[in-house]
Amino acid sequence: MVDRVLNVEDMSVKYPGRGGLITVVDQVSLSVDAGKSLVIAGESGSGKSMICQALLGIVPGAGQVSGTRMDWRGKNLLELDEAGWRSVRGSEIAMVFQDPTAALNPLITVGSQIIDVIRTHRRCSRSEAKNRAIESLELAGFSEPAQQLRRYPSELSGGMRQRVAIALALCCEPSLIIADEATSNLDVSIQAKIVTLLHELKDKLGLALIFVTHDLGLASEIGGDLLVMYAGSMVEYGPVQSVLDNPSHPYTIGLLQSAPTLHSTRDNPLKPIPGQPPRPGTIGTGAPFVERCPVAVQGVCDRKRPTWTRVGAGHQVACHRFALDKEGGSL
Amino acid sequence: MTPIIDAKNITKVFGASRSPHAARALNDVSVDVYPGETVGVVGESGSGKTTLARIMIGIESATKGQVYKDGHLLESRVDWRNLRLNVQYVFQDPFTALCPTMRIGAALAEPLSVHKKCPASERLGRVSEMLKKVGLHPDMARRLPVQLSGGQRQRVSLARALMLEPSVLICDEIVSGLDVSVQAQVLQLLVDLQKDLGISIVFISHDLRVIRYLCDRVYVMYKGEVVEQGKTGPIFENPSHQYTKNLLASIPGARHDKSTPVVQVTS
Amino acid sequence: MTSTGITGRLYLNPLIILGGLLFAFIVLSSFQAQLLTQADPLGTDLGAIRQAPSLEHPFGTDGVGRDVLARVAHGGRLSLQIAGVGMIGSLLVGSITGLLAVFAPKPVRWSVERAIDIQLAFPYVLMAIAITSAVRPSTIVLILLMILAGWAASARVVRSIALQERGKDYVKAAAVLGIPKLRVVLLHVFPTVWPSVVVLAAMQMAAMIVFEATLSFLGMGIQPPTPSWGGIMLDGKNYITSSWWLTTLPGLAILVTSLSLILIGEGLQKRSLFLRSRESDS
Ligand SMILES: Nc1ncnc2c1ncn2[C@@H]1O[C@H](COP(=O)(O)OP(=O)(O)OP(=O)(O)O)[C@@H](O)[C@H]1O
Ligand SMILES: Nc1ncnc2c1ncn2[C@@H]1O[C@H](COP(=O)(O)OP(=O)(O)OP(=O)(O)O)[C@@H](O)[C@H]1O
Ligand SMILES: [Mg+2]
Ligand SMILES: [Mg+2]
Repeated sequence: MVDRVLNVEDMSVKYPGRGGLITVVDQVSLSVDAGKSLVIAGESGSGKSMICQALLGIVPGAGQVSGTRMDWRGKNLLELDEAGWRSVRGSEIAMVFQDPTAALNPLITVGSQIIDVIRTHRRCSRSEAKNRAIESLELAGFSEPAQQLRRYPSELSGGMRQRVAIALALCCEPSLIIADEATSNLDVSIQAKIVTLLHELKDKLGLALIFVTHDLGLASEIGGDLLVMYAGSMVEYGPVQSVLDNPSHPYTIGLLQSAPTLHSTRDNPLKPIPGQPPRPGTIGTGAPFVERCPVAVQGVCDRKRPTWTRVGAGHQVACHRFALDKEGGSL
Repeated sequence: MTPIIDAKNITKVFGASRSPHAARALNDVSVDVYPGETVGVVGESGSGKTTLARIMIGIESATKGQVYKDGHLLESRVDWRNLRLNVQYVFQDPFTALCPTMRIGAALAEPLSVHKKCPASERLGRVSEMLKKVGLHPDMARRLPVQLSGGQRQRVSLARALMLEPSVLICDEIVSGLDVSVQAQVLQLLVDLQKDLGISIVFISHDLRVIRYLCDRVYVMYKGEVVEQGKTGPIFENPSHQYTKNLLASIPGARHDKSTPVVQVTS
Repeated sequence: MTSTGITGRLYLNPLIILGGLLFAFIVLSSFQAQLLTQADPLGTDLGAIRQAPSLEHPFGTDGVGRDVLARVAHGGRLSLQIAGVGMIGSLLVGSITGLLAVFAPKPVRWSVERAIDIQLAFPYVLMAIAITSAVRPSTIVLILLMILAGWAASARVVRSIALQERGKDYVKAAAVLGIPKLRVVLLHVFPTVWPSVVVLAAMQMAAMIVFEATLSFLGMGIQPPTPSWGGIMLDGKNYITSSWWLTTLPGLAILVTSLSLILIGEGLQKRSLFLRSRESDS
C-alpha cells in the first residue's frame, strides 16, 4: 500500500514587484510517498528553494503561497495557522537549508544545539542526548564526532556546517526530510556515505525525502522521482532513471549535454545551453523555454503554455514539440 | 619562471597552539601558482582548502610559513593590500559574502569607484556587462542579496571579484550551487579569461569532473596535508594515494558506471 | 503569516500604531498648543489660584493662577525638543564610539571599551547634580548632560551588533576588494546596525524625557518661569497634599509620553525581529 504523505497541486509562489505580482513558482504539483524520494533539479534560480520553503510555510520576504491543494498526512498546509505550522516544522518535516548557516546559531556550540533539538523531540537525559548527538554526527560523516560538540559554527568548514545541518535534521526524527542542496559542498566520498544513510532511513523507517541537487549523477543514486524545473515551471517529471535515460524536454536534454564527465577536458569545450533564462515576471503566454529552445515550433510554443504529455510509465513532459512528434503530425 | 604566488610550508593552528583543543588545520603545506595556469585543489571536507586560500589572500594569518608574490615575501599590511589589487578571492559561502543591505549594482560598482578603475559614467555599463557574463540579467543590479537564489548570489560574488580584473583568481567552490548548464557557462568564462588575459586561477572544488575539465595541475588535500600533486591527467589516470583512489571511485555515476546518456536534439 | 499581528507593507504592529498615535497626540498638543487651549502659560491671574480642574481650566490653575493645561502643553514643547536633541546627540556619540570599539586600532578600541564600562557603572543622576551645582544650568548644559548620560547605552548596543558583523565574510570580502575600512564601516556595517539604532532611538527618547524632568524637578534643568514638565511639578511640589493636580497631571504627561515611546520601541523591536527572521529563512 502506498502511503502518500505529501500531495501538492498547483502550488504557486508570487512576489509583489513593480506592476503586479511576479510569479517565481508557477503551479507546481508534486507528491511524495513514505519511504520514497523526490529529486528536484533544474536551472539556478528556477524556484527549487522556494518550493522547499513553501512546503514549510517559510517563504522569505513578502512571498505569497497559493495552490489548490497542499496536503501533508491529512493536514491542509494551506490553512495551517502559526501554531499548526510549529507542530509540523522540525518534528514532522525537517529541512536542511541551502544556506547551512541559517539553521545554526552562531553563539551556541554545535553540541548544545544538537542536544537541545534531541531533547525537544524526545524525553531523555543530557548524557543520553549527548551520545545520540555524537552518533548523529558520525552518521553525517564526521570521523571525529565527539570533537565537534565543543565547536562553534564559525569554526567549521563549509562542508562541516552542511553535515551539522544534516545531523540536526536527522535528530528531529521527521517523517519527511527536505534537503536543499545539502551535500553541495561535500566531497564525493562523504556524499556517498550520506546517500547510503538516507536510503537506510527510507527503507527502515519509511522516511520520505525531497532532495534538491544539481548533480544528475547524484540524482540517479538517490532514485525515486525526478522533477526538472525551469524558470519557475515544471518541465519534466518522472522516475529518475526514465528521465535520465530518456530525457524528453529540450531543457533536460541540454542540461545533460552540458554536464562535464570525468573525461572532458578543455580541448572539447562544454556545451552550455545558449541564451539566458527569462526573468521571473517576463514569461509570456508561451512555453517558458521557448526563447532558447532549438526545436521550438513557431506559432505554437510562443503562444501556448504546454500541458503534460506522457513519455512512459509515470514519466511526463511539458513540451509542444514532444506532443506533436508523438502524435506524428503537425498542427 | 617565478611563481606568481608561492605559499611555502604553511602551517595553521586555530586557537592557542599549546592548548589541547587547538585544531591543526594545515600542516606544512606548500602550493605555488605560475602565471597563466589553472591549479585545482581537491580534498576532503574540512581538509583545509578554504583556510589555505584565506592565507594566500591574507585574511587569515599563517601560524608558520610564508607567502611570496612574484618572488617577494609578503610581510607588511601594505604588501598584502598591494597583493589584493592583483589577486582576488571568491568566498565559498554565497549567503554571507555579500553585504545584506547593499544592492547588487552598488556592490559591483563599489570596487570600481574605490580604485578609480573607470569614469563614473561607465560604471553602470561595466556592471551590466559583468552580470551578463556570469549569466545574470542586468536587472538584478536593483535587487538585494536576499532576493536572489543561492546560485545567483554565487555568481554575483564571482562577478564582483572579476570587476577588478585580477591577474590571479582564487575560487572556492564557486560552481557547487549552479546547474550544469550555468556551470558550463561559468567555466567557459574562466577559460576565456585565461586565454584572453592570461590570468592564473586557483580552483577549489570537490567536483573531480570540473577539476579534470579546467585544471592543468591539481593538489589533493587530506587532513590538512597535501597528499598528492601533479598534472591533472596523470593523477586522474594513475592516482597513487588511497584517498585519491577513493574519491575517483565514488564519483556519482561512476559508482554504478552509468555514464551520462548522450542524447542529440534533432531539429 | 498575519497571526503574529504584523500587518501591511510597512509591517506595522499594534504596539507601533498605539504608541505612534499617543506620541503624535503629545507632539501635536505641544507644538500646536493653541489648538488645545487659548490660555497663556505665563499669564498669572491672582484671582484664580490653585483652582481644581474645571471646564474653564481642565488641568486646574497653579499657585499664581496660571492655567496648568497651557503650561503642560507649552512645557512639553521645550521638554520634547531638548529630549530630542539629547537623544540624537547620544545616539550619534554612541554609534561612533560603538563602531570605534570594534573597528578602531587596538589601543583606541581598548580605551573606548573601558570608557563604556565606566560610564555604565556611573550614577549619572548624581553626576548631573554634581555638575549642575558647579555650573549654571542652561539648555546647552542640560543637553550635554543628556548625551553624557545616554551615549554608553547606545554604544554598547552598537558595539555588540558590530562585533557580530565584523566576523562575517562580507566584511572580509570588502577588505579583499581593497575597500577602505571607514567606507566598510559606514556603508556596509552601519546599515545593518541601523534597525537597532532606530529601536534605541525611541527608548532613549523616553529616557531623556524622564531625565530632563528629573533634573528640572530638582531645580537643575530649565529655569522658571519657562514651563517644562519637571519644572511644573517642582512648582506644585509644596501643594502635593492640597492641590494634587499641580503634580499629578504634568506627571501624567511625562508618563504618557515615555509610555508611548516605549510602546513604539517595543513595537519596532518586534518588527525588526520579525523581518530578520523572515530574511534569515531565505
Ligand atoms: N525576496 C524575493 N523577491 C523577489 N524574488 C525573489 C526573492 N527571493 C528569490 N527570488 C527569486 O525567485 C527565484 C527562485 O529562487 P530560488 O531560491 O527558489 O531558486 P533556486 O531554484 O533554489 O536556485 P539555486 O539553485 O540557485 O539555489 C529566483 O529567480 C530569485 O531571483
Ligand atoms: N576559525 C576557526 N577556528 C577553529 N577551527 C577552524 C576555524 N576555521 C576552520 N577551522 C578548522 O580547520 C579545518 C579546515 O577548515 P577549512 O574551512 O579550511 O576546510 P575545507 O577544506 O575548506 O573544507 P570544506 O570542503 O568543507 O569547505 C577544519 O577542521 C575546521 O574545523
Ligand atoms: Mg536554491
Ligand atoms: Mg571550504
